[in-house]
Amino acid sequence: MKKVSIYRPSTVDEAIQILSQHGTSAAVYAGGTDLLIRLKNRLEQAPTYLVDIKKIDHLRYIKEDAQGGVEIGTATKLAEMADSRLLQEKYPMLVEAINKISSPELRNASTLGGDLLQEVWCQYLRGGYSCWRNGGYLCYGAIGDNSYYHSAMGGRLCYAVYPGDAATALIPFDARAKLATPQGEKELSIEHLVPGDMLVDGKIQSHVVRYNEILTSVVIPPPKPGMRASFEKLRPRGVWDFAMASLAISLQLRDKTIDDARVVFGGISGKPYREIAVEAFLQGKTLNAELGEQAISVALANAAPLKYNATKIDMAKGLLASGLARLNA
Amino acid sequence: MQTIEGLLLEPVGCLAEFPPGPFHEIAVRLFGRKGKASPSGSRSYWHLLNLMQTDATPWDATRTDIAETLEAEAVAGASIYEDVLPVLAELPTMGIRLFVASSLSRAAVTGFIERSSLREFLSGVWTRDDAGGVKSAPLLSALGGACLQPGKVMFLTDTVEGINVGRSVGVQPILMMNDPDEARRLAMHHPAGGVVSLHEIPDFIRLIAARNAG
Repeated sequence: MKKVSIYRPSTVDEAIQILSQHGTSAAVYAGGTDLLIRLKNRLEQAPTYLVDIKKIDHLRYIKEDAQGGVEIGTATKLAEMADSRLLQEKYPMLVEAINKISSPELRNASTLGGDLLQEVWCQYLRGGYSCWRNGGYLCYGAIGDNSYYHSAMGGRLCYAVYPGDAATALIPFDARAKLATPQGEKELSIEHLVPGDMLVDGKIQSHVVRYNEILTSVVIPPPKPGMRASFEKLRPRGVWDFAMASLAISLQLRDKTIDDARVVFGGISGKPYREIAVEAFLQGKTLNAELGEQAISVALANAAPLKYNATKIDMAKGLLASGLARLNA
Repeated sequence: MQTIEGLLLEPVGCLAEFPPGPFHEIAVRLFGRKGKASPSGSRSYWHLLNLMQTDATPWDATRTDIAETLEAEAVAGASIYEDVLPVLAELPTMGIRLFVASSLSRAAVTGFIERSSLREFLSGVWTRDDAGGVKSAPLLSALGGACLQPGKVMFLTDTVEGINVGRSVGVQPILMMNDPDEARRLAMHHPAGGVVSLHEIPDFIRLIAARNAG
């Protein structure tokens, strides 16, 4: 394992100071289920200085806000989210998604922030290949085995998929992320937090968080009246794995009429893929047994599968049909 | 990799998919090549360049005419990659100079540039007629003519020969990964980098600059 030094700041401001001081050679350390593996695998981009934020107060909580929404500190464990009665009552689809992340053991360690900002799980990156995310200039996933963890929707240098489930599930609720930065607090939508391959501070990463910024909380607005939501996930191993394809879907219904829809696919693109064409198609339609088949016909028209992963598009479309069927049940 | 200032473009396999037939036909008629044409236009082309390079016979008007006629046929049959124009339009706005450095004849290159409407984006054009040779000759002429530092120049290619030629003149050979199986084999020949599509080149160049700045 790469040798590292660990800081244990007690406030967010102190953490930001340390991160600013060390530049891109430092990184936030919370659950460690992604970061420690990158260190163990001696990846080029793994940090030398870890800023452990577990001791910072006010980063680990789930609380209802004044508007009836919920704010979740990003050091909150995924297991705590899964067990939260507040989340189960207000956002059962989110809890369903959280319960499908990894294994119970890992959910006890992993944090919400870590799930949102995790590195991709491309086997070539994790295997130490000199790829775009590891100091090199070539995507081995694009030309190698891309059956599971690579994009079927095109790419921008790196073709690995964004692996997090929490972001996919949070987008239908129009959730927003709060960041602490040297210039003060910043807030942005989850879609804007993880827009896919970005060049940030000289690195390719799936999110826009800079080296000296800390994701502090996620705010979910109160559930809209008549909202029904569902999360579906297909993975290579049923017990625990990353999504080959997943779907978070929410419908705002007036009787059986769809007033508004959110359709977000995971596991098929470098970002949680919001399918605006299907959302527009669903608006004003009546939720019935035939709607799934009709929605499939307009879904993922921009698909650009690699050699071995065209099946992911079929999976995603299948999830759309089953998701709508489930919401109609 | 050094921060990139220029790109050398060989139209065959880099800007367009060329039909293999005309290149194979030149090899058959001028060099007595036997056997079937490769299904890949690039491979047929580079095989032909190897024959041209090792051929000691001076070219007379008849041979030149045969080659140019068949190359014109290849240009007419070439399918230009759809992302070529937007990418070549963007790169000069980033301060990147673009040069065609091709082992095709001047007539063929001129025909290709006209057909693909690339003229306005190019800082220079070097052909085998201008350079007096094939393979490395047009690249060296382009580098010398524009006073480019080879290490700061990318050469896009989709063959082993292209990678080797690029490396021999000191430029950064970048693999165009047009076919995944072929690209996997070519990646073993240590190109400086690789792209699935030309649209990745601007981000590629930005990433190099960002890494060097850091």
